[in-house]
Amino acid sequence: MNEIITSIRRTPYQSLASFLILFFTLFLSLFFFNLTSFFNGILSYVETRPQVTVYFQNQTKESDIFKLRDSVVSSGKTQSVKYISKEDALKIYRDLNKNNPLLLEMVTADILPASLEIYASKPEYLAQIAEYLKKQPGVDEVIFQKDIVNKLISLTTGLRRVSLFVLLFLLLIAFIVLMTTTAFKIALKKEEIELLHLLGASNMYIRKPFLYEGMLFGLASGTLAFAIFYLIFLYFFPFLSSYFTGIPSLSFYWLGNFGLYVWPPSAYFLLLSYVITVLFGSLIGFVGNYLSTSKYIK
Amino acid sequence: MIKFDNVSKKFPLGNIALKDVSFEIADNEFVFLVGPSGAGKTTILKLIMRQYAPSEGTIIVDDFDLSSQNFQPVGELRKRIGIVFQDFKVLLDKNVMENVALSLRVLGFHEQQITKAVREALELVGLKGKERMFPAQLSAGELQRVAIARAVVGNRQIIIADEPTGNLDPKTAWEIMKIFKKLEGEKTILFATHNTDIVNSLRKRVLILKEGSLTKDLKKGGYEL
Repeated sequence: MNEIITSIRRTPYQSLASFLILFFTLFLSLFFFNLTSFFNGILSYVETRPQVTVYFQNQTKESDIFKLRDSVVSSGKTQSVKYISKEDALKIYRDLNKNNPLLLEMVTADILPASLEIYASKPEYLAQIAEYLKKQPGVDEVIFQKDIVNKLISLTTGLRRVSLFVLLFLLLIAFIVLMTTTAFKIALKKEEIELLHLLGASNMYIRKPFLYEGMLFGLASGTLAFAIFYLIFLYFFPFLSSYFTGIPSLSFYWLGNFGLYVWPPSAYFLLLSYVITVLFGSLIGFVGNYLSTSKYIK
Repeated sequence: MIKFDNVSKKFPLGNIALKDVSFEIADNEFVFLVGPSGAGKTTILKLIMRQYAPSEGTIIVDDFDLSSQNFQPVGELRKRIGIVFQDFKVLLDKNVMENVALSLRVLGFHEQQITKAVREALELVGLKGKERMFPAQLSAGELQRVAIARAVVGNRQIIIADEPTGNLDPKTAWEIMKIFKKLEGEKTILFATHNTDIVNSLRKRVLILKEGSLTKDLKKGGYEL
């Protein structure tokens, strides 16, 4: 530890450069990790929703809705069909907005539409079912979930690609900066390294402080990046909460069973973010300095 | 034990630094290595430290055979050897204690052992009480004492000294020699020097080199330039 502190004191600007590049890399990694997690959460939520939802006009009779339901079921193209009455819709609405009494005050069952939630037996039937339903009397709107899922999939795939590209670019810059600053530090310690070799020190013994320094920088910059990112997030949380009203707790598929909710972020998700960030930072610091010391300490 | 058997060293550009040099130094023996500049003294020391590989011949240091071009346990070999340089090679950003401790850290000593061993070594070289001083605060003679303490600490059994009095005035040089005298009989010492006064006064074994060849091996020799 003393050696690392001495090294930082002797090369403050180089150390700052290493720290800052790691900080920016980890901050952006954290940003993309959270964004991708959020969209994945949305995607897994949407995938659990009905594939086709038909909303009926207010005046449509329940008996007509049941007739339509039976005709859809008898087509053999559905896996299940669920009827949501106006009262059920009101109950769902109240559950979603239980924290917002203003939104509950004015709403009654009369103004909410009855609907059918339909799961197709095969994905290729979805378009046919949707087309059939659109032509039926009393139907107000048909929401064809596949479009949303496809859009979300393409959005998350695009986001992943952009994240990956940005991260690879940042990683490259981080490695170059780390290798250059470490090479400079090695040059400054040239006499000591020569002496250590003559005293019988192995290359790994000499490289160790540089590797520990890289890992320490990763740990410290990861911690700072996490702290700043979540301070910014907390600042905007009220705004985001009101913007995403109606979106329930989001998790990555089954990870919700472990309390890993990406929205609103659970303590486990925050802990996971922190651990991933500092591990990633330490890994970058270690690898960057490992490459540099492999090249310059022989 | 250090043994050279018909050792030659040629450098890639063709210059020959050593030609068929043979000698044997027993454990705990004190030997001067003398000769004019370019005679091959430093080459012999570097061959012992395995900074160079021999071009021909056999070199044995303790139980290490350094003849192979692909000799691997360089670190283990060097852990048995303490080295003292003409220019001290004391690290300026470390204090006396830290400079000497460096040698022990390489040997894998624990912190408590290091403190004790460094204090003993500093007492041996007459630097007791100067543990916290930095090289900038020390004289040339004191810097060389730090280097000697670094070389002897941790029970390194072979001491290689490459003209350790070369940068010192005669009085200080004699003080340094007194420290080496204290080590006599406890460690194998190979002392390369130009200093005829020291060699002639101490009457130890002398290996005389000239143009890369060992010209004389005097059991209680003197030396004239």
